[in-house]
Amino acid sequence: MSTRAKSVYFVRTALGSMVRSPFVHVIAIASLALALVGYGLARLASGQLDALVASLGGQVEFTVYLAPDAPEDKVKELEAALTQRTGGAVHRVSPAQALGRLVEELGDQGKALEGMNDNPLPWSLEVAVPAAAREGGQLEALAEKVRGLSFVTGVDYGQEALARLAMISRALKLAGLVAFALVFLTTVIIVSATLQLAIFSRREEIEIQKLVGGTDRFVRMPFLIEGAVQGAVAALVSFGLVFALARYVESSHGDAVAFLRLGGQVAADWPRLGAEQLGLGVGLGLLGSFVAVRRFLKV
Amino acid sequence: MIQMFHVTKSYPGDPPVLTDLNLDIDKAEFVFLTGPSGAGKSTLLKLMFLAERPTRGQILIAGRNIARVRESSVPYLRRNIGVVFQDFKLLPTRTVAENVGFTLDVLGVPRDDVRDKSLKMLRRVGLEHKADVSPLKLSGGEQQRVSLARALVNDPAILLADEPTGNLDPALTVEIMNLLCDVNARGTTVVVATHDASLIARYQKRTLRLEKGSLVADEKGAKAARLMALEA
Repeated sequence: MSTRAKSVYFVRTALGSMVRSPFVHVIAIASLALALVGYGLARLASGQLDALVASLGGQVEFTVYLAPDAPEDKVKELEAALTQRTGGAVHRVSPAQALGRLVEELGDQGKALEGMNDNPLPWSLEVAVPAAAREGGQLEALAEKVRGLSFVTGVDYGQEALARLAMISRALKLAGLVAFALVFLTTVIIVSATLQLAIFSRREEIEIQKLVGGTDRFVRMPFLIEGAVQGAVAALVSFGLVFALARYVESSHGDAVAFLRLGGQVAADWPRLGAEQLGLGVGLGLLGSFVAVRRFLKV
Repeated sequence: MIQMFHVTKSYPGDPPVLTDLNLDIDKAEFVFLTGPSGAGKSTLLKLMFLAERPTRGQILIAGRNIARVRESSVPYLRRNIGVVFQDFKLLPTRTVAENVGFTLDVLGVPRDDVRDKSLKMLRRVGLEHKADVSPLKLSGGEQQRVSLARALVNDPAILLADEPTGNLDPALTVEIMNLLCDVNARGTTVVVATHDASLIARYQKRTLRLEKGSLVADEKGAKAARLMALEA
């Protein structure tokens, strides 16, 4: 018995069957691709949340608003103390700079501010707080202390909002995971039923193979190859669809993406997503075929 | 070659299909298996090619007890047994040659050899010129010859045929029977299930008669012919 001859036979039979009855295979590929598009979109959404949290986390700033008559030496002392306590760089922002930023951020509406004679914005100190200094309520304690200084009018930091965002992100991810598990289970059932439909049309072939002495492994191999090929093609199609969708969102809804502070781009590790979809597609195809062909092997 | 000892086959809730059957078929023997519909002929053949397992008793094929053989060994045992079905069981999506080559594909025979051997076998049954057409384009007799070629291409020790001439006119019946006799003359044990009395009378081979799952007669030559003539 030649292993090479058998391998050639398996591949030839698998591809031959795909050519002979393309319709059932297209249906199988479509159902697999649908599942993989769902997976891709779920991964993409989760990636956006991660990127959003990371980008916001990187921008946590500790801002101290100074009174108009704040003594320069005291402010310098405070600057030194903040650097020492947080390990981050302290940047002093003038009222003019602050107004400039505000005008820029407001866009067209900001033009109304340009004509103002008196700038109501105070001097402030901005500290870019490194991640290490944000933990364990350190910022809260620091904010409390700084607020007590006579020449300070207020302290603002994004930690609260960030903590809430991280919590929302965790909750969304958990909900996504549960939803994905349900969709995945449903998909496996649909894929397996579709493949069973494809195999049902060839039950006669399986029966004859068994009657002339074909082992279960021999009968199953071409179907497994078909399942793997279907999974791979479905992965390619779904990757293309998800990629195209991301590019479309970037080009036509770039503002929305920019609003999420992701630099106008959908954040994704494309090679990784492609590999995951390929692995999942081939795995699903193999599993679906294995389960589907099993019930026809009893001859 | 085929021995059965006290073989009983029954399905839950139904009376036994075969009851306490004993028989012994020698190597290179030609045997008719006859009896009315529902007598158990097809079930007996199914037991021989392991499509069914006996409820009780022992079945020895070439000295090996197949009644208790493991499921994973079944395909290997089947490779020594060619089977011809009344409904031919040919694949309409494959050519005639591909249908014949099916048996060799299972064995891992290289593609070119499969083609060569299939054509050789088709020549033997007189259908080489139809090698590349679909079985759907063949007559009933031709389809049965393709089915026979598929069963024989692997040169099995045993050939089982379930009503091989059941759907054929008298001329085609003779054609198929001559092929079976030819195969038998080359040393293959042949078991043919049929309820065609004229066939048994004409060929005068050993005849086993089943009735209600029991072996009621085992006659050879002219006696078998007379037995069938009386029945008819």
